Amino acid sequence: MDAGLIPAKLFECQVAESRPVGAYRQLALVAPEIAYLAHPGQFLMARLAGPALDPLLPRPMCVHDIDSDLVKLLIDPVGKGTAALAEAEVGDRLSVLGPLGRGFDMEGEGPAVVVGGGIGVSPLLLLTRALLQRGREVRCVLGFRNRSQAVAAGLFPGAAIDLLTEDGSAGRTGLVSEPLPGCLVREEGNPAPEIFACGPDAMLKAVARIAADCGVRAQVSMDTHMACGIGSCQGCVIPGPEAYRKTCIEGPVFDTRDLKWQ
Amino acid sequence: MAVNLKTALGPLELDHPVINASGTFDVLEADTVLEEDLFARFPFAAYVPKTVTLAPRAGNAPPRLYETSAGLLNSIGLANRGIEAFIRDDLPRLALLPVPVIASVAGEATEDYGVCAAMLDGRDELAAIELNVSCPNVELHGRALGLDPAGTHRAVSLARESTSKFLIVKLTPNVTDIVEVAAAAVDAGADCVSLINTVHGMVLDPWSLKPVLGNVTGGLSGPAIKPVALRAVFLVSQAVTAPVIGMGGVTTAQDALEFLAAGASAVAMGTASFRDPLAVTGVVAGLAELMEERGIGSVAGLSGAAH
Repeated sequence: MDAGLIPAKLFECQVAESRPVGAYRQLALVAPEIAYLAHPGQFLMARLAGPALDPLLPRPMCVHDIDSDLVKLLIDPVGKGTAALAEAEVGDRLSVLGPLGRGFDMEGEGPAVVVGGGIGVSPLLLLTRALLQRGREVRCVLGFRNRSQAVAAGLFPGAAIDLLTEDGSAGRTGLVSEPLPGCLVREEGNPAPEIFACGPDAMLKAVARIAADCGVRAQVSMDTHMACGIGSCQGCVIPGPEAYRKTCIEGPVFDTRDLKWQ
Repeated sequence: MAVNLKTALGPLELDHPVINASGTFDVLEADTVLEEDLFARFPFAAYVPKTVTLAPRAGNAPPRLYETSAGLLNSIGLANRGIEAFIRDDLPRLALLPVPVIASVAGEATEDYGVCAAMLDGRDELAAIELNVSCPNVELHGRALGLDPAGTHRAVSLARESTSKFLIVKLTPNVTDIVEVAAAAVDAGADCVSLINTVHGMVLDPWSLKPVLGNVTGGLSGPAIKPVALRAVFLVSQAVTAPVIGMGGVTTAQDALEFLAAGASAVAMGTASFRDPLAVTGVVAGLAELMEERGIGSVAGLSGAAH
């Protein structure tokens, strides 16, 4: 199935669960259609339902996990929009447009190296489950600022995990770019490893460089400010090799070779 | 009481008074992304595509967006593929919409307004042309033509000489006296004025204290600017005989009602469509209810009620 050709709809979804995951907040929404249709790496435009005009716009939120009829979001309350979503209580309703964007291409056969930084781990949980289900070998390299954020690494099921923190309060001290080249060694007779990554721009830039150096494919999920999420506003663009690319409809997942890394 | 939502902008007959603001609803993309069949049931009463310029423009460096208190600051920079690509690729598809299509053009040089109007003049797909005179103009060292009455008059005159299409001029609020600029546009041959475009603004990153937008400053839209827009519509609609399209923060049916009362013949929704791409449907339905509650039977009976 092409990850980008599912028509999106506007839903009003009830919050079924809300729980802290260290520094983050995990919300579960009752959203059976999105749960059925969404592909790993796709996103939703979400805001609290109702007439309040501040925050004004929905926020792009990765589909973090799916559990039967529930669609889960992982929220880092960094601004007023994300803070309002993080404060949603069980029974509150969210206005949700989705599923949107092009997700990860999981058709490859090589070992998957899943690289996450901070809140960027959000879409990687659903991706990891899907890759494991396909029988792919999965190794996760997850980096966080500190132990409080690193609690999110505990969400990842059944995959080998390398955990790093910048302050050394959990796992090894350092950045994900340090152990990554060692994970990309191709075993004799096996298909080449493949990177799936989401995280801060600096991390993704390092991932793109390492992927190029090691000659492996890397898909990255880009996080930009968006107003509409459906290709109208042209606000979410990032540089491609020739022209700006719209993160919302051409991404959010891109092959690193399709973007320009300054 | 049955409420009649029909309205007219000169020869353009609209089924209801709510259209989209240029650059805020890309029907060709939205029709692909959304489940809604927008070509069968188009929710706006007319369609205004994104502004095009003579030459393609890549647009401004990102970041291009930042949300402010009940508002949105943007610096997209008129990113577009140029008028030739618009005519060749987009117009044949837009002709399939069940509503009038209004092209929006901007000039990087004053002459461009005449050239673009001439290129669009013979296109039967178009019901009207909107001149966006708020584009930073190369001759004026990055200032918009629409910032003064003389510049607006020159641009509109050139377009008027080049087309017999219904000509709408979109005005910027970033002027000392918008009434004076509106009068200059009408004097030069504008059939209609639309107002307001975005309000100049900027935001700083709370930590680094540097400008957030790649272009440093941007244009503010959304509910935050509604009172600015309402005043401009109130003043301009009393000063010129041409019909007025009111816009600037129209988000709810009550907003639409107030812009019409302030003197607009139609209103446009912009940022509200980013919040909810189909918000227009609720605004149109809500407008009929609000008019009925007030015993107002038609848009003509509402327009200018505040004067």
